[in-house]
Amino acid sequence: MQSSAANLLVLVPLLPLLGAIGTVLLGRRLGPRAHLPAVAGIGAAAVVALLLLLGTANQVGAGHGDPLRPAEPVEMITTLWQWATVGDARSGDLATTGHGGLSAPVAPGTANNGGAFSIPIALRLDPLTATLLTIITGVGLLVAIYSIGYMHDDPGYPRFFALVAMFVFSMSMLVAASNFLLVYVFWEAVGACSYLLIGFWYTKPEAARAAKKAFLVNRVGDFGLAIATFLLWMTYGTLDFHDTHLADGTIVEGILGQIRLADEAGYVGGAVGTAICLLMLLAACGKSAQMPLHVWLPDAMEGPTPASALIHAATMVTAGIYLITRSAPLFVGCPGALAMVSIVGATTALVAALIATVQNDLKRVLAYSTISQLGYMFVALGTGTMLGFTAAIFHLVTHAFFKALLFLGAGSVMHAMGGVIDMRRFGGLRHVMPITAGTFLVGAFALAGVPPFAGFFSKDEILATLHAKAHPEAHGSDHAEAGSAGERPRDLAGGVGLVASVPVRPFRPGSMITRVSLSDAHDVSHGAHDVSHEKVGLDALDHPSTWRLLFWMSLLTAGLTAFYTFRAVFMTFTGPVRVPKEAGHHAHESPPAMTTPLLVLAVLSALAGLVLFVTNALSSFLAATPSLTAPAVARTAVPHVFHWDIAIQGTLAAAIGIAVAAIGHLGRRSDSPQLERYLGPLGTLFANKFYFDQIYAALIVKPLEALAMVTAFFDRAIVDGTVDAIGQVPLAWGSAIRRMQSGLVQRYALAGVVGVLAIVLALAWQLRP
Amino acid sequence: MDPVSTATASPSGLLLAGSVAAIAASLWLLLPKASDTVASRRLGFLLGAVALVGFAATGRSLGSVGEDAVFLTVAGIAVISGLATIVTRSPVYSAIWFAMTLAGVSGVLLVLGAQFLGVATIVVYAGAILVMFLFVLMLAQPSGMAPYDRVSNEPMLAAAAGAVLLGLLTLSIGRLSAAEPPSCCRMPSRAQAVAAAAPADGAAAKADESTTLIAPAMAGGDTGDANEVAHLGAELFGRHLFAVEVAGVLLLVALVGAIAVVSRGEATETDHRREGR
Amino acid sequence: MIPATMLTNALLVGAVLFCLGLVGILTRRNLIVMFLSAELMLQGVSVTLVAWSRYHGDWGGQVLVVFVLTVAACEAAVALVFVLQAFASTGRLDASAWQALREENLPRVIDHELPADDRVVPTWPHLSPAGVLPEGDDSRSLERDHV
Repeated sequence: MQSSAANLLVLVPLLPLLGAIGTVLLGRRLGPRAHLPAVAGIGAAAVVALLLLLGTANQVGAGHGDPLRPAEPVEMITTLWQWATVGDARSGDLATTGHGGLSAPVAPGTANNGGAFSIPIALRLDPLTATLLTIITGVGLLVAIYSIGYMHDDPGYPRFFALVAMFVFSMSMLVAASNFLLVYVFWEAVGACSYLLIGFWYTKPEAARAAKKAFLVNRVGDFGLAIATFLLWMTYGTLDFHDTHLADGTIVEGILGQIRLADEAGYVGGAVGTAICLLMLLAACGKSAQMPLHVWLPDAMEGPTPASALIHAATMVTAGIYLITRSAPLFVGCPGALAMVSIVGATTALVAALIATVQNDLKRVLAYSTISQLGYMFVALGTGTMLGFTAAIFHLVTHAFFKALLFLGAGSVMHAMGGVIDMRRFGGLRHVMPITAGTFLVGAFALAGVPPFAGFFSKDEILATLHAKAHPEAHGSDHAEAGSAGERPRDLAGGVGLVASVPVRPFRPGSMITRVSLSDAHDVSHGAHDVSHEKVGLDALDHPSTWRLLFWMSLLTAGLTAFYTFRAVFMTFTGPVRVPKEAGHHAHESPPAMTTPLLVLAVLSALAGLVLFVTNALSSFLAATPSLTAPAVARTAVPHVFHWDIAIQGTLAAAIGIAVAAIGHLGRRSDSPQLERYLGPLGTLFANKFYFDQIYAALIVKPLEALAMVTAFFDRAIVDGTVDAIGQVPLAWGSAIRRMQSGLVQRYALAGVVGVLAIVLALAWQLRP
Repeated sequence: MDPVSTATASPSGLLLAGSVAAIAASLWLLLPKASDTVASRRLGFLLGAVALVGFAATGRSLGSVGEDAVFLTVAGIAVISGLATIVTRSPVYSAIWFAMTLAGVSGVLLVLGAQFLGVATIVVYAGAILVMFLFVLMLAQPSGMAPYDRVSNEPMLAAAAGAVLLGLLTLSIGRLSAAEPPSCCRMPSRAQAVAAAAPADGAAAKADESTTLIAPAMAGGDTGDANEVAHLGAELFGRHLFAVEVAGVLLLVALVGAIAVVSRGEATETDHRREGR
Repeated sequence: MIPATMLTNALLVGAVLFCLGLVGILTRRNLIVMFLSAELMLQGVSVTLVAWSRYHGDWGGQVLVVFVLTVAACEAAVALVFVLQAFASTGRLDASAWQALREENLPRVIDHELPADDRVVPTWPHLSPAGVLPEGDDSRSLERDHV
């Protein structure tokens, strides 16, 4: 059973990879059927992923209904081969020699490793991975099928499918990798695929620019992940998620391995822990388009719409969510970092929603909506509770459905309108393309959070978890230990108090680990913190008042979301029928290859939330993810209840948003005066996207350009000048000597004779008596 | 086989330097120049004579030239004709002076005891090669002195270089005779080596033949050797047979190549002329 | 075998001939005279070789001179053909006329103003033709007008 599951797990990334290779090799020969290898590969992978999901769910067990009882972690590791092995990588390490400026605290249980550095190509299967694999391959399959219609006459047809399959491979590997370095590798790989797909029409200047921008902005985040990986290795001595049983009986404790997870004192907090978490947050901000690194995502809509739906709405942008969820045990030890996650998320959600309210480009509205919804997920993650993490993944799943639906619907509109996507130029399209209009409306309801559509339930859970953090006293009965800070297990500020509360350490079979004692660990890891219960620095952010503010921001965002979503719906699909002249004969409903995925996604968007919420299947399933079984997370689990008060608030916000949109736009010509004229200067601010691009241009790009100019001048004038001057010397010699090359044979002979004479003279001088 | 160490001391530096300067000046004056006058050429002849006397004196101090009048005569002919060869303006006269040089060299070779080469020089050079030169001259430059025959390239520098080289060579020849010959010069002659090796070969079958042909050489065949040509032939077609064959092939190739180039050149030339008409 | 005095005398003659040939080949501009000078150098070498050969009683030097003769013959044959070709293309035997291999952009070297060509082309009295003129190439006069 175990080995067959391992084989299946390998198939999930392997099949799309084979599909990509097949498309590359056979693409030209297959011509208009070039999609076959890619679609077949992704489709087979989707089936396998679904099987794995069911298998994992089976393993988690249907009887696991009590949310308060910590779930047994379910994971399966399959190591394919060792990528790299370094015998003793720590020999020159400052951390062990104990001097030097950078002395990272060494987490308990890391000395066992003997400094060996090894990178296994290891894949893992646990509830989180299974969920995401299903989403990735499923949405990937639908998008690939949709693309058959959407891209049908594009000259780069095979290339597109090769890239999509390549992306599905990379993303599957990213969520299946059981090692931070592998995560980093495929983190970059999905970034590369994203770059290639945004710049798919590379002859279009805007697309090329947008691809470049996405890549460069992502570098900032990737840099964070790289540094975080270094710090992780220095602190934990390994990069593996899982425990490794070595041949000699010792165990290398993985960062997210079961031994460490079971250990209340297994994770380093303090300055280093916070630094690791903030760097991961930076990485997540880059990939998931959170402020301040969100600027690339709206421009990424220059790529083909299916790519936008797949990568920039449903899957790749959730990599940040995945990373933080996976690293949940690391984060819960650092309340400051967690609060930062939420603050970043809420701010992004609000700002992006505000910007979206005045955008006239359908895809751009959806892009900002994506940023906003990702911000929502970050808010949920930042609460650091079991409900928060599961709610974030819940929202990730529903969002993948309805955002892919909306994007594909927008693509369908764009396809029919001959590439025009400006909502002011068309209207009343529900008469022209009824299927698209209907499915888009379903997606809009889901996004706006109207019950009983999918978005409502996931958004409700997020608001509920926020509310619980904001009013710990009100939820005291529900929450076992809702975020009151001093009791955090690995909060090293309270390290002394912690020792008493540490439970008996679980028995570890076969463990020959010499552990640093807890007090030692405390001494080393205890950076800038005083031994006091007062929160200092970032940790001071973790305060109920902060969470109250975040709750209201999120609620406001919910209302704004409903407004801009329905503004887009009303502008596009209602009012008098208008079609731009670019549409030509295209102005009709899209082919079945495109509408079928729309219908499938519409059903999912409509029902997934309800089903998943009522059965509580997803949350209890995810609770068995090893990362979430860490005691610090597991003890925050709450009973599964429906919060009527919060649901009413959320629904009310959505209703107000829809109503305002209806007043402004329902039934009117989409190019008639807009609501934003009442916003005055604020409207200008929103329309200009809060001037982020301009601020970056002024603060970063222009100074860098100035620096580059100075450097270029230095390079040209001084470096090149020196080199040229050195080059001038032989040149001058050459131009002086070249006069000797007269072409006259007798002068050459004379020169030769003079040389002979010189040699003879020298010999005569040497042989003189 | 008198050791060279008995020869007289090295030439006096002053005499040598003077001779070198004189020959350089003479060559410069004699070589064709646009500014030539009769006076300058006479001065050149005068200086050349002085230089030759100087070198002769050097030679006298080297050995006993005067004792061999025949050698002095033929050497003088060779050297003077050689000088005339390079300074005469008309190429035809140059060629004829070169014939004189060959006669002189032939004489020197005969005096040295190389009868075959002395005759061969006359026959091959004067009889064949030089005639070929004259033919070419007739074909190419039938009208005597061309303007470029009356000027020279870098006469001063070249004359100085030649004179200095001559001085250096003379100096080293003087050293050679003054000093104990270096070990390289004292190695046993090839003939002696062959003689030493012959019994070891044990080529009894060929013993008669080789004895009759090589024996005098092995015995240190001398100046008045009546069988000189026979020995040289035996040497050529014995030890150097392969080289002789190669030389024959080389001659054939040169012949064929020359004809090929000429005939192709003629063809293009006539083509050009036809087109010109 | 020859005595050492004879050897040094012969060597001296060889050296003089060699140096004269060297000066000639460096200065004279007529291709034919240059070749004559080269032959002069070969004569100097031949004399030297024979002198050493006789001094040592070794036939190798004389054998080498035989080969020198052979090679000189080949060289003369081939080189003279090339001289003829050169003459055919420029109409001159001037070595300085060939400067095509000089460095780019350098002007032609004109080291001397060549003296005027003062060769007198004599006019000969011709008999008026009688009978049938033989077919011939009259552009190529076979008469020599000057020595």
